Amino acid sequence: MSESSHFLFLIALLPFIGALLPGLMIRAGRTACAVFTAVPTALALILLMMLAPAVMRGEVVQAEIEWLPQLGLSASFFLDGLGLLFATMILGVGLLITLYARFYLSGDDPMGQFYTYLLLFQGAMLGIVISGNILLLLIFWELTSLSSFLLIGYWKHLPEGRQGARMALAVTGAGGLAMIGGMLILGDIVGSYELVDILAAGDAIRASEWYLPALILILLGAFTKSAQFPFHFWLPHAMAAPTPVSAYLHSATMVKAGIFLMARMWPVLSGTDAWFYIVATTGLVTMVLGAVIALFKDDLKALLAFSTVSHLGLLTMLLGFGTQAAAVAAVFHIINHLTFKAALFMTAGIVDHETHTRDIKRLGGLRHLMPITFVIGTVTALSMAGIPFFNGFLSKEMMLEEASHTKWLGSYYVIPVFATLGALLSVAYSYRFIVHVFLGPERDDYPHKPHDPPFGMWAAPALLAVLVLVIGIMPVLAEAVVTVAANAVTGADLHPHLKIWHGVTPALYMSVFAIIGGGVLLAVHAPLQRFWNAAPRPEAKEIFEWLVDSVAGLSRRITDISHNGAISRYLAIFVVTSVAVGAAAFFGSGLAAPTRGLLSVPPVIAVGWFMLIVATVSVVMMHHSRFRALVLIGVIGLTISAGFVYLSAPDLALTQISVETVTIMLLLLALHFLPKSTPKESPLGLKIRDGVIAVLAGAGVAGLAYAFMLRDIGTISDFHIANSYEGGGGTNVVNVILVDFRGYDTYGEIIVLGIAGLIIYAVMHALLDGPASRRLRNVDYSQDRSRDRHPLMMVVVTRVLMPLAAMVGLYIFLRGHNEPGGGFVAGLVIAIALLMQYMASGFAWTQARQRIQYHAMIGTGVVIAGLTGIGSWLFGSPFLTSSYTYIHLPPIEEFEVATAMLFDLGVFLTVLGAVMLMLYSLSRIARYAGETVNLEPMDYDPAKTGSGDREEA
Amino acid sequence: MQPGDLSVILPEIILSLFAMAGLMVGAYGGKDKTAPMLVWTTSALMVALAAWIGLQGAGRAVAFGGMFIDDGFARFAKVTVLLSAAAILLMSEGYMQRRGLLRFEYPLLIALAAVGMMMMVSAGDLIALYMGLELQSLALYVVASLRRDSVKSTEAGLKYFVLGALSSGLLLYGASLTYGFAGTTLFSGIIEAAQGELPLGLLFGLAFISAGLAFKVSAAPFHMWTPDVYEGAPTPITAFFATAPKMAAMGLFARVVHDAFGGIVGDWQQILAFLSVASMYLGAVAAIGQTNIKRLMAYSSIAHMGFALMGLAAGTAFGVQAMLVYMAIYITMNIGTFAFIMSMEKDGAPVVTIASLSQYSRRDPLKALAMLVLLFSLAGVPPLVGFFGKYYVLLAAVDAGLGWLAVAGVIASVIGAFYYLRIVYLMYFGAEDSELDAGASPILSGFLVASAAIMVLGVVNLFGVEAVAEAAAATLVN
Repeated sequence: MSESSHFLFLIALLPFIGALLPGLMIRAGRTACAVFTAVPTALALILLMMLAPAVMRGEVVQAEIEWLPQLGLSASFFLDGLGLLFATMILGVGLLITLYARFYLSGDDPMGQFYTYLLLFQGAMLGIVISGNILLLLIFWELTSLSSFLLIGYWKHLPEGRQGARMALAVTGAGGLAMIGGMLILGDIVGSYELVDILAAGDAIRASEWYLPALILILLGAFTKSAQFPFHFWLPHAMAAPTPVSAYLHSATMVKAGIFLMARMWPVLSGTDAWFYIVATTGLVTMVLGAVIALFKDDLKALLAFSTVSHLGLLTMLLGFGTQAAAVAAVFHIINHLTFKAALFMTAGIVDHETHTRDIKRLGGLRHLMPITFVIGTVTALSMAGIPFFNGFLSKEMMLEEASHTKWLGSYYVIPVFATLGALLSVAYSYRFIVHVFLGPERDDYPHKPHDPPFGMWAAPALLAVLVLVIGIMPVLAEAVVTVAANAVTGADLHPHLKIWHGVTPALYMSVFAIIGGGVLLAVHAPLQRFWNAAPRPEAKEIFEWLVDSVAGLSRRITDISHNGAISRYLAIFVVTSVAVGAAAFFGSGLAAPTRGLLSVPPVIAVGWFMLIVATVSVVMMHHSRFRALVLIGVIGLTISAGFVYLSAPDLALTQISVETVTIMLLLLALHFLPKSTPKESPLGLKIRDGVIAVLAGAGVAGLAYAFMLRDIGTISDFHIANSYEGGGGTNVVNVILVDFRGYDTYGEIIVLGIAGLIIYAVMHALLDGPASRRLRNVDYSQDRSRDRHPLMMVVVTRVLMPLAAMVGLYIFLRGHNEPGGGFVAGLVIAIALLMQYMASGFAWTQARQRIQYHAMIGTGVVIAGLTGIGSWLFGSPFLTSSYTYIHLPPIEEFEVATAMLFDLGVFLTVLGAVMLMLYSLSRIARYAGETVNLEPMDYDPAKTGSGDREEA
Repeated sequence: MQPGDLSVILPEIILSLFAMAGLMVGAYGGKDKTAPMLVWTTSALMVALAAWIGLQGAGRAVAFGGMFIDDGFARFAKVTVLLSAAAILLMSEGYMQRRGLLRFEYPLLIALAAVGMMMMVSAGDLIALYMGLELQSLALYVVASLRRDSVKSTEAGLKYFVLGALSSGLLLYGASLTYGFAGTTLFSGIIEAAQGELPLGLLFGLAFISAGLAFKVSAAPFHMWTPDVYEGAPTPITAFFATAPKMAAMGLFARVVHDAFGGIVGDWQQILAFLSVASMYLGAVAAIGQTNIKRLMAYSSIAHMGFALMGLAAGTAFGVQAMLVYMAIYITMNIGTFAFIMSMEKDGAPVVTIASLSQYSRRDPLKALAMLVLLFSLAGVPPLVGFFGKYYVLLAAVDAGLGWLAVAGVIASVIGAFYYLRIVYLMYFGAEDSELDAGASPILSGFLVASAAIMVLGVVNLFGVEAVAEAAAATLVN
């Protein structure tokens, strides 16, 4: 890396650093502000010129520092002929625009802001053309979208400005993002993101299977930026921007970024059929279409905008041809187009500035009023038309020459004919620019009396007009630059000769035809325009709007369908997806053949199974009646318990039965205060949908279980069975697991159970203080109430059962460690005994007869269990280590005492306390709801009332 | 349990004890009057813990027999979680105060959720996983319906709870199948069982655990709760939902797939790639039609999760690194964006319609510019930092041979860019004048501008986050 190559960093940075200046200098006046905008640009240009000699010798200047190496991103810069050409254009025109804008912008416009944006944009643009890393290029690329957005939208008060900015941003932004994908693929194929490596890997890229996606994605970026059909529509609408912006962005720089990219990637991407047909065809269509529309535009800037579209199409087509001569023509035309189009835009800006209108219909006859402007405008417009001795002629000739011998889908006529048509139209609108604006009679109804602007304003276009003439007359002067740039594009060593006269060639005929035809076309312009205006044609802007609207509509429909706010739909989506995931896993895996046969089905089991099914289906059918549903749920629970018994799991059965009983009882008590039927739900269609989903999910789970049961699978039960007696001192594996192996879990669970009881109590307490208590007091029982609230039989039976149940509970508790049972079940059994008293004899009666503090009971239980656990620390074992011994008390046989039993006592107390506390909470509701305190439970005397009449409850 | 175990989870213990003590202070010491003080102390503690965890050197400690893992990956995620939670708390104080929502439980619930998240990213066992997940979720269910007098808020909370319970059930189903077939709940044991051709039970376990986790990261098609909850919850809560829990859930997801199922990358790669594509496209397409900025951010977060999942789907250390970088960037952007949304007010009442932003740039040019930067960054437009996040995951996908996924991601980001740019367009070129009040609390503006500044200045070296993330990812995948 030579010393001077470091200049590249400086060149890239200068505009960004300089962007700070205008904002600061605006206080010193508008001229100072403009000067300080020009300084960094000029400095960068000078540095560039110092590097130019090396580049002109054919060297490539490179500089690199690492940035984010892991991403393949480095701040590497790369200056070759193509880069030099573009960089010079960007900086040179930048200087001219700075000068022009100083005079163009009015006093109301915030100039500091404008220049800041302008420099930001200039920096981004410069970055694109000298990036040596395609990721870096990408970054600068999008930075131009951003800064151009700010520039286009500079005049916020104009509605067209807003529309234009939005479309420009949407189209170019999206294109840029698509390009990221293309660059990523490119980098992946080559294995490097450095431009040098990529340019050297053309064959590998073209041979890759990812070539076409990469090409399309990259071209999307280039076409959107360079306003190629069908993305051309944004450019004319962006013309609402101030004219200096249009001149800079939309003629000289930003729209050329796409062309630059295609030129840059030309060595690696071109040369295939895909490239030719996509790029050349797009270019051809854009060229003709843009020219047609330009001819009929009445807005001066719109005319120029569509002519720009047309010329960009021409450049694209040339690059698309993929031949070296076409590449030379493209490079040359880039220079020529820059000179005449920037000048034309500035001319249009001057006309607008002076007459306060850009409408061609209201203009004409300006040649005497604005002679200088007229000369500049005429010279540059003739160049655009491609008249000999103006530079536009030269590159157009080269284009026609190339077009004349390019075959398209086997036809030698398509491209030459359309190319000539494009040239002809180009001539026509160029003439129109001159004739309808400057020639003709002077009018007296200009919105503002025009005259030539101050020197500062016409100096820039004048300089460009001089260039137009100089190159047009002595093309040899441009030869060196074109050569070095063309060599950079093609990667070959070319020596093109630029000259005016090539002899009598097909291109000459085409050119002459175009020049004459253009004149004819202008002559019949007025009737044509009437016809054109009457003809229906797709308006791109409307299509864009329609597209935006319909996409938004589509999106809204999608969200309306999937996010309608109904949780049932969310659940449906959720469950269906889960089932689908399960199905994919199920069918996607190679399931081994079953290793177990089916067992025979004894009749009793078949009956049980049938009952289960009937009860389950009935719950679904009859859930409107809550009471019936509850009963059926009880049936299901009991049948399942029976199933556990049958499958030799007495412990589970015992637990299941007691839990089932307690919950059903509590639910029954609670149901008392709830509506007796559930609300009406969804229509039949939804029911069917939900039914199908439910059956699918159920079938999925059942299928899974079935699949597992048919196969031998190593389970973890063996470990527990082997260690239960030795490690935990019990033969009831389930109980040992609960109080020993997983004692910690059980300890946590009883705490949770206790907390649950307390929370129900607390919530109920809070609830009964609020509006709910009012509702309860006025509760209107929908059904008749039994007048025999405490049936004699039931009261008697429950009281007799009470000691029996307590005995059973104790028995179950004591045998728990070795036989089915344990603290948990025992707690539930005792709770059931007490529950029955509440049901039979009433809350108040029962409450008055027991003095146990449930809170204390829960606390005691947890503390006992905790202490047992801590106790093992005293013996140097970890928390909750069980130990056991055998005790012999004389009247009874020797029996085993395990510390786990103490722990079980804790469990017992907590369970009992928690259940009873829940019950107590429910009973409070009952009292709020007007349950009378009847201390005598059997207070109903049938003799007191007649058989037919009823008391009101 | 060894005494040393406690020192490994000391940060979690401190935060839990703080939350419990704070609860006591709040309950017995002046109720909601203590709330501002609690907010500040909670965030201060979180920042302190984050600094402490972040400054711990390299190294890996395992506690409780492998149930809890403290490694570089966990530390990265914890620092992100704690800092974002602290930032959201600070931002929310004024907002909640003015709307009478600043209850003393609020900072404590956030603290408890943070403890859960710290557990999640450190989980080395299915039980620990579930514990962390539920601690987080339970706290989130409550804060989602914090605005109890609003039907929308309570409905959102309830929906979140019901769907969350379903997803937890699904996850547990998967976890028990996994346990049944692997014979252990420890990730280190599962990974030994889950090698080569997978038994059906483990495959199901993996699928259902993934589904449960997908719900937590709100990946499509398990995302249904997101828009409703985002819309219904008070904006600071929404901001919280969009940041810390997402990091934690992604961290947990990464842990499960790599620590427990790292031997069968091919099997979960498909699941993650599917989730990723579905999320990216659903998020991008559905966001276009939104008129409420909070709902829009919900879909945006769904799409972003799709991109983060793309990194994870790569199944490589670089993929995990990409995911971490992506999440760090995503969270930073979201903090700034939500600071802006919180400051959207008209006559003191919050406004959430996108249309109200019309011509906002005239009302407050600086904030509009900061928001512009953030939105461009969210859209992934170079050169802002958001682009690097996207680029990282795309690169990870391409490197892992998932070229189609990367291309799909690029197209989704093009679609997605549209709605971010629509907001920018409205702010600068809307048709009517903005009706929003100008100015906002200095805290909100500060976060907004700082976040935007990070998006711009971060392009220099991403503040070194990539190296940290690389080290973190290396501890997870090896």
